[in-house]
Amino acid sequence: MKTVFKIVLFSCLVFVFSSCEDVVQVKLDEGSKLYVIDAFVNSLRTDQVIRITTNTNYFSNTTPPGVPGAAVVLTDLNNNRQYVFNYTSNGNYVYSLSATDTLARINHTYSLSVTIDGTSYSSSTIQKRLASIDSISVNLNDGSFAFGGGGKTKDTTFLCVLFAKDKSDAQTDYYWIRTYRNDTLFGDPADLNLNIDGTGGAITDASADSLDFTPPSTLLGFKKYRRHDRCRVEVHSIMSNTYNFFTQAQTQINNGGLFATTPENVKTNIITPNGKTKAIGWFSVASVATKSIQVR
Amino acid sequence: MKKIGFIILVCITNLLFAQENATVSGYLKDAKNGEALIGVTVYKKHSQVGTSTNAYGFYSLTLPRGNDTIMYSFIGYKTIQNPVNLNGNQTVNIELQEEGKDLDEVIVSSEKADVNIQSMDMSSAKLDIKQINKIPALLGEVDIVRAIQLLPGVTTVGEGASGFNVRGGNIDQNLILLDEAPVYNSSHLFGFFSVFNPDAVKDVKLIKGGIPAQYGGRVSSILDIRMKEGNSKRLSVNGGLGTIFSRLSIEAPIIKNKMSFIVAGRRSYIDALVKPFVKSTSAIKGSQFYFYDLTAKINYRINDKNTVFASGYFGKDVFGASVFGFNWGNATGTLRWNHVFNNKLFMNVSTFYSNYKYLLDFKTNSGDQAFKWTSNIVNYSIKPDFTYYLNSKNTIRFGLQSMLYDFSPYKTDISFNDGTKTSLISEKRYGLESSAYISNEQKLLPRLTAEYGLRFSMYNYMGKGTAYYYRDTTPNTPLPLDHEQKYAKGQVIKTYYTPEPRLALNYVINAKSSVKASYNRMAQYLQLISNTAASTPLDVYTLASNNLKPLIADQGSVGYFRNFKENMFETSVEVYYKYMQHQMDYVDNADLFINPHVESQLIQGLGRAYGMEFYVKKNKGKLNGWISYTLSRTERLVRGISNDKWFFSRYDRTHCLNTSVNYDITKRWNISANFVFLSGTPATFPNSKIQIQNYNIPYNTTGTRNNYRITSYNRLDIGATYAFKKNEKRRYKQFLVISVYNVYDRRNAFSIYFRTKSGDPNQTEAVRYSVIGSFVPALTYNFNF
Repeated sequence: MKTVFKIVLFSCLVFVFSSCEDVVQVKLDEGSKLYVIDAFVNSLRTDQVIRITTNTNYFSNTTPPGVPGAAVVLTDLNNNRQYVFNYTSNGNYVYSLSATDTLARINHTYSLSVTIDGTSYSSSTIQKRLASIDSISVNLNDGSFAFGGGGKTKDTTFLCVLFAKDKSDAQTDYYWIRTYRNDTLFGDPADLNLNIDGTGGAITDASADSLDFTPPSTLLGFKKYRRHDRCRVEVHSIMSNTYNFFTQAQTQINNGGLFATTPENVKTNIITPNGKTKAIGWFSVASVATKSIQVR
Repeated sequence: MKKIGFIILVCITNLLFAQENATVSGYLKDAKNGEALIGVTVYKKHSQVGTSTNAYGFYSLTLPRGNDTIMYSFIGYKTIQNPVNLNGNQTVNIELQEEGKDLDEVIVSSEKADVNIQSMDMSSAKLDIKQINKIPALLGEVDIVRAIQLLPGVTTVGEGASGFNVRGGNIDQNLILLDEAPVYNSSHLFGFFSVFNPDAVKDVKLIKGGIPAQYGGRVSSILDIRMKEGNSKRLSVNGGLGTIFSRLSIEAPIIKNKMSFIVAGRRSYIDALVKPFVKSTSAIKGSQFYFYDLTAKINYRINDKNTVFASGYFGKDVFGASVFGFNWGNATGTLRWNHVFNNKLFMNVSTFYSNYKYLLDFKTNSGDQAFKWTSNIVNYSIKPDFTYYLNSKNTIRFGLQSMLYDFSPYKTDISFNDGTKTSLISEKRYGLESSAYISNEQKLLPRLTAEYGLRFSMYNYMGKGTAYYYRDTTPNTPLPLDHEQKYAKGQVIKTYYTPEPRLALNYVINAKSSVKASYNRMAQYLQLISNTAASTPLDVYTLASNNLKPLIADQGSVGYFRNFKENMFETSVEVYYKYMQHQMDYVDNADLFINPHVESQLIQGLGRAYGMEFYVKKNKGKLNGWISYTLSRTERLVRGISNDKWFFSRYDRTHCLNTSVNYDITKRWNISANFVFLSGTPATFPNSKIQIQNYNIPYNTTGTRNNYRITSYNRLDIGATYAFKKNEKRRYKQFLVISVYNVYDRRNAFSIYFRTKSGDPNQTEAVRYSVIGSFVPALTYNFNF
């Protein structure tokens, strides 16, 4: 929701003043070394990847160096099943699901253990909720989506609208919605689509439970589709702290303009033993619902 | 504390109540339009015995009986000498004539131009609207808040940021009064223009320190804006066609010399100008963006003893397109009654209502899914103020104020595609702030004057509503809820009391120089919640509560004032130190919008500010203007932030140099210029980045806030005004104002921030963001008759 406000405010300003931005050279200090653990596991039946890298100089323009040789183990604490992730390349550790595996079981607690050079870093999380989608529909784009990004196209374009319902019990649900056009993820920081109980993050009390998802979340970033394009949506049911991690990251990634907030470091749920090289990052296990539609 | 003050006062009163005296009182007005004149010096000829008119133009002077001459003197007006035969109390109303422009060669011997030396005022500045009108302005539009930013001790985080920072205070620490009613958001268009229509404004006074006891409720400054009453002699019209908006004001007598009104309005027309050029298929079709405001006032002078005023302001900013809408606005209404009980006792009672609200909505094209959010803060207040002109040595002021806050944090309306609708309404919050004050301005010695007083404020946070109680936790993380408790209507949840002592001293060394010192404690029971660089119109105020303590500031300042060349030059040097408690800060990743637990996201910390201000002003002559320089430091200490060490606040600027000059070349041509140099504001820069889910996130491994400073800000503006040749038989006057803002086209950085290059997730860069990235020329046509 915060980001939505920001976009709205910014759009207004653009109209009014010739504010300008230019890339400048800034000399920055070098930060101390950190391990970065990127562990987002979900219920989709695809290869699960956990990535371990180090932090880099802010202006370095290469992929961050991967950390090979670590032992990466995911444990389902409810049934003590272990999933060992194996190193492939670029810091990626992969687990390929067999036909009998089910990850992200409801109400199961998962722990992650990452051992680098004899130091063991750990984290744990619970997968609580199931995600669901009713349907996706296609609307003709009449051109009035002023701030939807992307240029004007000569041919007719369409917008996808998501229909989903929040769970009917009193528990607060947190959703991370990912949208694809022809299997390409809209992965810009501005495309992060998050909401609480379906209402755009606006209402955090019980009153919003069991409602239909509302705009702006359901407008899927105002992305435009053409005839024969395929629109696919994933709704990830995530934990509240994962939701907070994303909103915080989103603010920090592009924190400019008149309404920038004071920069801050993103939180981490990785525990570093005392006195060792610090590891930061995020561990999440999510239930995912997915649906797709072809524009005809 | 209050009792002691009273006893002291009574003693002093008795001591000085001896001689056979008589009192002269009355109102001072402008002979041309009947406007009350504020701050006119009224004194006994060839003496230091005197007073000045108050905000309603009233004065009262007590002198020994006998024949005397009373002088009435005011800058820009001819001094009047009025012989009186004082054998009893009498009422003398005076109208002052403006000094003609072509009277340059006539030396106006207003002995009392050294008001700045003699008066109690320190750390304050009075801006005449005529002076403000001459300052070259952004887009040619004269603006009061931007003019104030040229004064010493006043800074801003940058162009486009609403409000202003006074001596290290946040923007919400300024009490902005429009005809005694507080204005919560003084900005149009985010912060480029203020809501005050210069055509309707008569007098502007900024008080940064030594704040008198009659003011309270905000800790850093008082911006007291007085509207014109409206011409009570004849119909008069002022107007202007500008680059961005147009203005029109009409003022006229309803009953000559007794009753008059003024109505002034403005509307921006960027949208109307753009409309013909927008194709029906364009993405911005259907979008709207404009603002307008309307200011109106009517006054009725019933008789010499009673005058009533009613004034109002209404303004709105609107932005939007077919899928979203966004607007905000203020409405204020004030009713006032001036009553003169006798020649020595003056009363003003003000009651006011103010409502600040905003709305944000999103909807699908067809409107079948929609989401709407509104919020508002309503204020009701009554405020009787009394001035008792005891004798020529003592002026006692006392009064009361009571203010009710009625605050709706949010109300959301949601519509679904199946036609159902739902509303989610937060509980209202209520606060009642009450205060009483008494002060005395006393001439202790021929050269030493003191103004001492006490304000006592009391605040109740009240039901009906739910109070949330939080547990303490790791600093800089949201507080976990401990329990909540329901309160009935009017039931007190939490009470705070603050005694606020005020003291100001003036020691006059000689006719040309004086030393002044002051101390004040101020309390503030509501604060703005804003963690963005520039405050947004969506930022809401929050009341002191069981969780949030009132903001308290103590400030001391000392200054030396000296005039040169027959008061042609006024100069001053002041130093100040300010210490603030319970200043608002925010936990990391604070969620401040539509959050019933917003208080769990706030942390209160300490603030300190100190500095030195230099000011030189040339009052007279063809070339006039001022230079101000401030050397200052503003810091904060907040638990859990920046490794628990003091850090620079966002609006800390080490050096501030402001120059504003004006030159009358001929009767027709006038040119003016501003030059501004400000140190860069502090900023937090990362020293590395981390990659998660293919997002590059900046990371500062040291955890220090505001560890860098952005480049300095400097700017030159120039302006020229041409007065068209006037037909001597007609009153119609026309002016053309040409101005260029940011003449040498400097891209001053508002901020430097870090982002991922679009299209390549591995590339990150530093970006300089400039709000105004080029020079801005403007042409304005003004007229009046």
